[in-house]
Amino acid sequence: MEAILDFWAAYSATIAFGLVNSFIALSCYAVLSAGVLSFTTVMFAAVGGFVAAQMIGMFALPPLVAFLFAGVAGGVAAAVIAVIFLRLETHWMALASLALVLITRVVVLNTPTLTGGVQGMLVPVRVSVLELFLALAVTAFVFYRMHNSWYGLVSRAVREDPSVASTMGISTYRVQFIAFLISGAVGGIGGAALATTLQFISADTYFLALAFTMIASTVLGGSFHWFGPIVGAFVFTALPTTMQAVLPEIQDVAKGVVLLVIMILLPRGLVDPRVLKLRLSRSPKTAEQPDA
Amino acid sequence: MQLFLEQLVNGIALGSLYGLFGIGFGLVFATLGILNTAHGAYASWAAIIGYFAVVWYDVSFPVAIAVGVIGGGVLAILVDQIGFQPLRNRKTGMLGALITSIAFLIILDSLAGMATNHQSWAFPSRTYPRGMLDLGFMRIPYMQLIIIGAMVFCAAGIYLLIQKTRIGAAMRAVGWNAEAASLGGVNARMVILLTAFLAGATSGLAGVLGGAATSNISYMLGEGLLLKGFAAVVVGGYDDVRGTVLAGILLGICEVFIAQYLSTTFRDGFTYILLLTFLVMRPRGIFGSGNFMRA
Amino acid sequence: MIMKTGTMRLGAALAAAAFSLAGSAWADPAPGQYNIGIISDDTGPLAAAGISYHRGADLAIEEINANGFAGEGVTLNLLVKDSATDAARAVQAMTQFAADRTVLATTCCIITPIAGALSPIAMNNNLPLVIYGATREGLPQEPYVTSVVALPGPQEVMMSERLASELKPKRVAYYTTGDNDIFLARAHAVKAVFEEAGAETVAEISTLANDTDFTGPATQGMGTNPDVIMVMTTQQPAVGIISALRQRGYEGLIGTSEVISPPAIYQKSGDLIEGIPFALSFQPGLSDSPEATTFIEAYQAKYNELPDVYSAQGYTAIHYIAQGMKAIDGEPTREKLAEEMWKITSIDHNLYGGQEIVNGQAQIPETLIVNWNSDGEVALWENQ
Repeated sequence: MEAILDFWAAYSATIAFGLVNSFIALSCYAVLSAGVLSFTTVMFAAVGGFVAAQMIGMFALPPLVAFLFAGVAGGVAAAVIAVIFLRLETHWMALASLALVLITRVVVLNTPTLTGGVQGMLVPVRVSVLELFLALAVTAFVFYRMHNSWYGLVSRAVREDPSVASTMGISTYRVQFIAFLISGAVGGIGGAALATTLQFISADTYFLALAFTMIASTVLGGSFHWFGPIVGAFVFTALPTTMQAVLPEIQDVAKGVVLLVIMILLPRGLVDPRVLKLRLSRSPKTAEQPDA
Repeated sequence: MQLFLEQLVNGIALGSLYGLFGIGFGLVFATLGILNTAHGAYASWAAIIGYFAVVWYDVSFPVAIAVGVIGGGVLAILVDQIGFQPLRNRKTGMLGALITSIAFLIILDSLAGMATNHQSWAFPSRTYPRGMLDLGFMRIPYMQLIIIGAMVFCAAGIYLLIQKTRIGAAMRAVGWNAEAASLGGVNARMVILLTAFLAGATSGLAGVLGGAATSNISYMLGEGLLLKGFAAVVVGGYDDVRGTVLAGILLGICEVFIAQYLSTTFRDGFTYILLLTFLVMRPRGIFGSGNFMRA
Repeated sequence: MIMKTGTMRLGAALAAAAFSLAGSAWADPAPGQYNIGIISDDTGPLAAAGISYHRGADLAIEEINANGFAGEGVTLNLLVKDSATDAARAVQAMTQFAADRTVLATTCCIITPIAGALSPIAMNNNLPLVIYGATREGLPQEPYVTSVVALPGPQEVMMSERLASELKPKRVAYYTTGDNDIFLARAHAVKAVFEEAGAETVAEISTLANDTDFTGPATQGMGTNPDVIMVMTTQQPAVGIISALRQRGYEGLIGTSEVISPPAIYQKSGDLIEGIPFALSFQPGLSDSPEATTFIEAYQAKYNELPDVYSAQGYTAIHYIAQGMKAIDGEPTREKLAEEMWKITSIDHNLYGGQEIVNGQAQIPETLIVNWNSDGEVALWENQ
């Protein structure tokens, strides 16, 4: 029991950041699963983070309530961004979203009354790991239901081939707009989760490092199933801590090499529904059918 | 007036670095479809290699530039062959290569940090042209002249290569549709290696020259160039060398003049608002063409 | 080498903590051996200074153990976790230290955001945290969070007063770091002194911490024809601005802060930074107290280079903890250590010829106004 408690105490922060990064990665997955490569999640997270920090600071809200506001704020931001971005061709959208990350930092730095500017903001409340877990469980449940819904089906169609999807009468614009809204809400919650875990946020909290963490987690874990980003977020969060214990001198290099090797060996990520299906089809019942 | 002219040259020189750096970034994006976040690491490494060549082997500055440029090009080929080539046949689209490029960004940056002992270095003062050309009404540092000259040379060379030569036609064909190009008899592998080398070499050139001009050779060098070079590519249009260069210079001039006549506080804000405006109003850049591949 | 043994011990300590039975954790370390956690910046954007802090701390540990400064038979052991100046990684490291019951105290932090994120963890876990680099009013919190680095300001003010009275400049230009509130405040303190002395402010040129190209700002500053230029920015911009000004042919006086004091900066910039005054409290060649002499010799012997202000701060942080340890009666606990450390009003073993502490916050020690001379040494600055 003691051992478990000690382990928990030592790694609770790593688990907390794994949960936080799961939100961020799911937000990225939400648009990716509709065929959009976008870094806008970082901006949604910034909106959510600063909204939550302000709400907690002004009204002393409990973290989970602040998460709700952050989710709404992220969704609103996403609606605005989607209107602008969905006019762009996919390659341009990727570049534009990266540009938006840079713009976000400048805006945060230059609006001190909202964000604390260069000084950043203290967040007086820390969210507990249990609360984070509950929030993620609810979010994951929503993704699970979506995966098996009409929306899940059409978004996969749009991702695989937009032109075929549109000949089937699916509005690519509408699907991707919904994807952005989901991404914004989840990203906003993720930003709020990050703010209440770090308890100190500034312009650099929501910048390129978060963009890289987000995209690497999502693709590493697997961008073809909602469970992938969560796995990826935990792997990517635990990687530096693990590497520090194993190879302290070259921990960052080791982290990069692990990422590289996983991507080359498993380009579809750790969780790949195609592989799972193959495994299932090789279960005893169907074992006699080769190449199922 | 002297102040205005000197600042104008400062802006053009700064923007030339952005443009020079951006050419390769855009080239790789347009031809190979890779959003290469490790592009800045080539610049850092080229500057570091050039610096070590000067300090250890006492070579002259032009040799140091050549060593850095070749080093940057070779590094880019290595990254491409290790990190991007294995993904090409697996249809991972932009995503897989983006992640392997992040992996290389982490690896190359931390190795560069170790190589430089996490310090910032500078070329010893007598090893590069540090004086100024006095025109009477204004003075221009030699390094700025070299930077502007290098940028014009590279931009013109690469533009002509792409537009007027067979290999350039092959590059455009691969960028438009790699499969169709190889069916049409284009040697795709050759195009990939050449594109990677050119990108690494121009990034490396920007790294060595920028490192010398700003007395800052460090593992952080590439990151600054990446952000601004990226802006140049977006404003200028990634599939056009002329656009990238012009946008780079424009950004450089804007930065310097906004800092001089308004305030640094607005400087980066202006850069990125310009960026966003271009994205929304003219999403194919200054010279952007409409002949984009559409599924 | 130090890092390697540190991590091996860390591994052992974690394993011991994870697998030992209830209550046995206290008896686990060798009698008299106590762990201190350092959340270092050995990699990342601030690694140049971070490595210096870490080396200073390592040397202090060796010295304390060799001389029994932390008490009879008491030895300290430094556990290292590198944050790479990343807030999330620092928080994780701090939580791990808090959970490891063999860790009695921690030390950390170059930048204020990380110090701000770690101090609630220190308070919640009753774990002493000594901040060695970050400065902001109100960082120390009774009794667990303390700071061994004095709030900046008075030293530059003293230097500026001297520059103003000896040079009597009429026109002064200032370079600031617009996105760093600490340096911005330092610049404004300096500006107030010159304005008080009647010097006109001809330009206040803002740069950003990540800027690298300073040809524009240098041209702008020189265009205003100043007698004196004060460069009050973070390290990289300061070196860049000074280089750009000198390369453009500015001959007048430039004043700056301790950011150009590390020997590595002179090695890089050489003659460009000669003769530029800056103020600090510790500098090899000038600090000549017995403690400082021993420290400088040991540092040179071990790392083959001279220590700088940052290594001195890392060193002071560990000695502060050791002094608290020595005062404890009986079995040391985090609570007792914090209580004893909060009571300390002066760090006995320091490199500054005296280091006062008030409510957990170090005060400005002796001030030296110095410059690099043409022999590549730091000497007291004289108006020429």
